[in-house]
Amino acid sequence: MPLDVQGTFVSQKINKVRWIPEDYMETKHFFTGSWDDDENCIKVWGFETANEDEDVEYPRQLSEYKVDGDVTEMKFTNKNVIAVSISNGDVKMLEISAYDKEAPLKEVYTWNNLHNYGVEKCSCTSLDTLEGDIASIGEDGNVNILNGRRGDISQTIKGADSCSLHSVCFIKLNEVITGNVRGHMKIWDIRSSSNKPSAAFLLAGDELAATCIIHHPTQPHIVLAGSESGALALWDLRMNQFPTSLLNAHGGGVTEMQFHPENPNKLLTTSVSGEIWEWNMDMLTKKMSDDYMPVDDKTNMNVNSLMPTLHKAINTLHCDRGRTLCGADNEAIYLIKNLRY
Amino acid sequence: MIGIFKFIRVNFQELPDKCFKKGIGCVWRRGNQFTVFPRSQSVNKTTDESRNKTDDKILNIRQEVVLFTPILRKLVNEANGTYLSVQKISETSKTTDNQVDFLKLSRQYRSIIRVCIESLQEAASKEKDGIDKNTYLSYLTIFYSIECIWHLCEILYIDIIPGEVVLPFLLEWVRFHFPCHEQTAAQLLESCEVGSEDHKDYWDTVIVMIVQGRIDVARALLKLHSAADSNEFKLVDNSLRSMPVYSVYGGISTGEFTISWKHWQAECRSKLNSKVLQDPQLELVMRLMCGERSAFECVSVKFSSWFDLVGGWVLWTAPWTRRGELGAAGAACAAFTHTRGPLEQIVRALLDGDLHQVIREIQQISDNNWFAAHLTDMLYHCGKLRILDIHQADVTSRLRDSLILEYGSLLMEHKSLWSVGLSYLCGTPEGVRRAELMLERMPIQTEAKAMRVAAEAKKYGLLGVVQSVSACMSTRHLSGGAERTGGALAWGARARSGPQCSRAAHAALRAHCAGLPLPAADLLLTAGPALLVDDTLLLLGKYCDFHRLYKSREFRKAAKLLVSLITSNIAPEYFWSTLLLDTLPLLETEEPVISSEDTYDIMLCLELRSTCLSKEKADLLRLALARNLARTVLVDVGDE
Repeated sequence: MPLDVQGTFVSQKINKVRWIPEDYMETKHFFTGSWDDDENCIKVWGFETANEDEDVEYPRQLSEYKVDGDVTEMKFTNKNVIAVSISNGDVKMLEISAYDKEAPLKEVYTWNNLHNYGVEKCSCTSLDTLEGDIASIGEDGNVNILNGRRGDISQTIKGADSCSLHSVCFIKLNEVITGNVRGHMKIWDIRSSSNKPSAAFLLAGDELAATCIIHHPTQPHIVLAGSESGALALWDLRMNQFPTSLLNAHGGGVTEMQFHPENPNKLLTTSVSGEIWEWNMDMLTKKMSDDYMPVDDKTNMNVNSLMPTLHKAINTLHCDRGRTLCGADNEAIYLIKNLRY
Repeated sequence: MIGIFKFIRVNFQELPDKCFKKGIGCVWRRGNQFTVFPRSQSVNKTTDESRNKTDDKILNIRQEVVLFTPILRKLVNEANGTYLSVQKISETSKTTDNQVDFLKLSRQYRSIIRVCIESLQEAASKEKDGIDKNTYLSYLTIFYSIECIWHLCEILYIDIIPGEVVLPFLLEWVRFHFPCHEQTAAQLLESCEVGSEDHKDYWDTVIVMIVQGRIDVARALLKLHSAADSNEFKLVDNSLRSMPVYSVYGGISTGEFTISWKHWQAECRSKLNSKVLQDPQLELVMRLMCGERSAFECVSVKFSSWFDLVGGWVLWTAPWTRRGELGAAGAACAAFTHTRGPLEQIVRALLDGDLHQVIREIQQISDNNWFAAHLTDMLYHCGKLRILDIHQADVTSRLRDSLILEYGSLLMEHKSLWSVGLSYLCGTPEGVRRAELMLERMPIQTEAKAMRVAAEAKKYGLLGVVQSVSACMSTRHLSGGAERTGGALAWGARARSGPQCSRAAHAALRAHCAGLPLPAADLLLTAGPALLVDDTLLLLGKYCDFHRLYKSREFRKAAKLLVSLITSNIAPEYFWSTLLLDTLPLLETEEPVISSEDTYDIMLCLELRSTCLSKEKADLLRLALARNLARTVLVDVGDE
């Protein structure tokens, strides 16, 4: 079946969108987090048919949770609980009822002003979760490791970076990697008490921000970072320092990347230039183990565009089997169906 | 401007009288906003106590913008996509004829309006609060008329009409926007009972169907009359059936068609004059068919406005009318009634082909000029707009630009819609300058937004904005104290601004002189060529490198670097003491690391700048230098 794109205008710029996982069936619900509006909020949506005889399903808003600032990141800590970072420096854990999706979201834990410049507010720019732990980063350059089960701060790396941090990712239970506004990447061992990174390297020479970091789902030593310039960098952490590949990809900053949960060779990326692409990473990850990839192989890499280029930035994507959601700055969300994986 | 003045009158009641005693002040803010505040003539001694007690209020006054309500924001965003497609196609249409594409986009606009109307309808039906419901209903009225005008505009200027014979399109327009007795007709036909004339709306329905040109429906309805088999009914039915219908592909020319049609109508007229028709309603139908003015005048009361009649008038008087020739029909129909609403004015102007007047009128619609801007732009790109000013100069593009500018500036005021506004502004040469000014004044809270603003600005080539936004972020970090030097330097480097980097570097050096550790070591050690933007920054970077070498006990290299920093003379005055005193431990190392030649150089610098050190410290340094010289004068420090 061909790709089927369906857009819905929602009157807010969407910065994050996440499917809410469901057991044994295809999920119909998802979260959105807005940014850059007078009043931002986290919303829960459900796909519903307008008329019974119609096939098309439209998203309908089920509940709304107002936040004081932009929603900068949303990640699940477990099936029903989502960790949210907000641009006023807060981190919240919100729970959605498994039975009644229309019930208002419940606050599990809140860390107010977790990131700050003393009295001045400072944005919490991103977070990552791993088995109930949360690593949050902010413009203040601090890294906080939060325990999502007990609700306390288990560790703070103060001054992890002298500039603002913009992306973070758990590599192992005890290791996180962060990227800052200049594209300076640092790996932190959470167990060590010294405030020194265990490794540090630069994304590219252009002094532009590392906007997102992910690791390969089955080969955790392979780490990918997206740059503000639109480039994609790939490291084999067994021999870091220099990226094994640096691909000039999108026309604008990479906003989010996700490996397809069902197929680790498929990567999806979105960008400020309004593109959403799927990548066939077979070639790249297979070649990783022995040597650099020959240049002529790079050109063979399979990249497809999933949607005609939008005239505004696409900020986020999340895929669940054959269906991908993405949220954009033109105040719309798009559902792309029939994605082959 | 009038709208704003109205607002002041309402809001002033919120200001306590006391404020007026002190006099009142007013300043403009960003966009269409201003602030009213009590201006005290005498200087108040403000203590914490009095500050809390004061009744003074500051009022922010802004225009209420309909388009910022959530439902209409969808319209704004969706229309923006179509607008950008129009621009793209008009780029390519310079070489090719893209009439079909323009028509497609015009339909897209109409479907956007339709979606908007539907969501307004849904919201209005769900809304329980009376005031809000009324608001929705008033928006509905606005968008119904917008839809109606856009459709007529599309028919008259954008659509491709074979042979230019506009009648079928015109009838479609009338039927779509002024559905009237449609349900009654459907009901009657469905029940299919002979003797339907007992229904109270039977004749009204028949006449409306005749006027709207639904000949088949009218004939079917007439068949339901109990006297349908009588001669007079058969006569009318026959005439309706035999009416010639023009079709471009019918194989006859317009001239031929005109003759046969006139012939047919003459026949109808003779039937009418033969007084066969006894039933007065049936006679009225026949008179309508003959295009009798008095008949139309007589039925006009059954319609809400005169443009319901336009289709029928053209159909029964001159079905060969081309689309540029509808003025007369408009004038004739308008004469039947005396209602002169805004919508009537616009339709009249449209039929007359006076687009200038049309645009003037649609600017009065309170949709914040969404409609005026988009329609004008569409017509302009289709090449159908030609507007002359009083001196007969062509001002078409100026008119279009000014409408787009106004609409874009309006959107720039909104926190979220600024990027939409930007895409309108940057489509016109003057708008780019305006966008530059507005972007620079946009409040930016987070770095993420700063980066997005910079990215958008870069897209339109506004590199000045990219610089000033980055410089702004840098200054903000700088004012946050020494710990944030890293941020200040990073954004200074993004701005490629020497002065900005210099300020940040000076702040860092001064903080170090005051005893703080060197900030942003991670940044400085990896900055590379970015350091070359400014001398002080270079000094800071190299000095940081010196600290790194010293800490890793590479004294030789550290000494070499320090000496080169001293002798290059780029250090600011206040930093000399730190720089010179840093030589002390290197002069006292077990193995000498500073050569005799370098020692001489340091001595020279010390003597030239002895004022920056206290006498005690200077003497200490002199002693150390002398001792180092003694050590190295015989066996000098060799090159590695």
